[in-house]
Amino acid sequence: MCSGGDLIVNLIEYFVSNFTFILGYTWDHIKLVGLAIIIAIVIGVPLGIYCSVNKYAASTILQIASIMMTIPSLALFGIMIPVLSLINEGIGTLPAIIALVLYSQLPIIRNTYTAINNVDPDIRDAANGIGLTTFQRLIKVELPNAMPLIMAGIRTATVLNIGVGAIATLIGAGGLGGIIYQGILRTNNTMILAGAIAVAVLALIADLFLRLIENLFTPKGVKK
Amino acid sequence: MIHFNDVTKIYNSNVKAIENMNFTVEEGELVIMLGPSGCGKTTLLRMVNQLESITKGDIMLNGKSVWHSNKIEMRRNIGYVIQSNGLFPNMNIEDNAMIVPNLLGWDRKKMRDRFNMLMELVGLNPDEYRKRYPHELSGGQQQRVGVARALAADPPVMLMDEPFGALDPIIRTHLQEEFLQIQKELKKTILFVSHDIDEAVKMADKIALLKGGKMMQYAEPARMLNKPANSFVAEFVGQDRVLKSMSLYTVRDLANALTLKPVIESPDSQNINENLSLRVAISKILNQEADQLIVENDNGTRKGSITLDLIEQFLHREIKESV
Repeated sequence: MCSGGDLIVNLIEYFVSNFTFILGYTWDHIKLVGLAIIIAIVIGVPLGIYCSVNKYAASTILQIASIMMTIPSLALFGIMIPVLSLINEGIGTLPAIIALVLYSQLPIIRNTYTAINNVDPDIRDAANGIGLTTFQRLIKVELPNAMPLIMAGIRTATVLNIGVGAIATLIGAGGLGGIIYQGILRTNNTMILAGAIAVAVLALIADLFLRLIENLFTPKGVKK
Repeated sequence: MIHFNDVTKIYNSNVKAIENMNFTVEEGELVIMLGPSGCGKTTLLRMVNQLESITKGDIMLNGKSVWHSNKIEMRRNIGYVIQSNGLFPNMNIEDNAMIVPNLLGWDRKKMRDRFNMLMELVGLNPDEYRKRYPHELSGGQQQRVGVARALAADPPVMLMDEPFGALDPIIRTHLQEEFLQIQKELKKTILFVSHDIDEAVKMADKIALLKGGKMMQYAEPARMLNKPANSFVAEFVGQDRVLKSMSLYTVRDLANALTLKPVIESPDSQNINENLSLRVAISKILNQEADQLIVENDNGTRKGSITLDLIEQFLHREIKESV
């Protein structure tokens, strides 16, 4: 066992001497999660909007998304293997992205749905009474006012995916999980810790970055 | 013109919200629908711009049946003001006020001119407020913008759902008076929902009093106050209906109807302008501010004086005449 002081020194040494190595893994991680989130947004936001106009569909869709969330991540990756083996994609990036997209659906759909439902009914009434079409109402009034909550859902999904993405290495998807996994195999505490820290820092940076984007996309009058 | 022709609304196949409603809001008239909550006044208003469906009957807007109108197009031709103002928080004041012209595809220059003109009309400085957001404005200012927005595309018809209901009494009185001035100028056909009899008496050309989805009385304010059609109307307008009706007359109306008394110089007299409402005049006498009110016209020329018994005489006459 090494003392705390040694651990920190080792850790710093590890980061310095393996800088490009870690950067490579981080970049893989960003690509994996980034792609998954983009696909998740493209699917989840329209589904959330659809839920807000169709109450019957809403309960079913939210139900399914909730079930996705309850499946342990390792199990979900496991399920992907036999299913995608049918098209020879059992391991690698594709199953990982599919799993991450499925995981992100609940926060994105639920927040979009809630955000649009939470738009002040008087504002919706005014929009209707003035003569906006349903589509104009959505684009000009509901989405801009729902923006902060929708973005919060995307942020939650991203941070969640960065964590879950670390497990994706087990099905050969690469990413920062690889450092942790290698550390476990070699019983190298420094490596395990380095991987864990890198994942946490990435999650924090991603959250910060998305807050900036949220700020950019939120209309001035909606900011509190 | 808004014409209600046997309009009926039935909820859940048996609850009658509106029953065989027949009346007409003439061109340029301001009609206020009054009644206890749940009487169907807001439902009826929302049936005009089809936010509520019509079960039976027809509403004609300037000769065109709502059944044969395109909902979206029709709504853009109706000014709509609601109690909570319904301004869009994500848009600045100019975008809010100009939303309908924007949808109609007006050019920039025309919209800017229209915005400036409307803001002056509702008493706000256009350049000061143009780029501000609704939450930065007070309730009264927001409602002024709400009125400007409704007037933006110069619609012939306006629907107003308790537009001043959420404001404090002082601001409300201000806005009511300003809106009356605007209406004098623009002569819109307005259907207005209120629960405040004083507001109705002050502003309406005609009052429609509803109860349980049925019309109780449709008449000019003076007639409704002086000759209520039934006991419900009498109770709704209140025991003080005669006093209320006095705010409908000015001192000049009295001077025109009756001969004023000669002016007797005394310390207990006070000068009043002939445009003063009779309600204020009688309050002055009852408050013991003066026994005799000396009526002056705008040039300051004395026309004579009024006393309590002269007002009483005038009321007798008016109440009898309005039969």
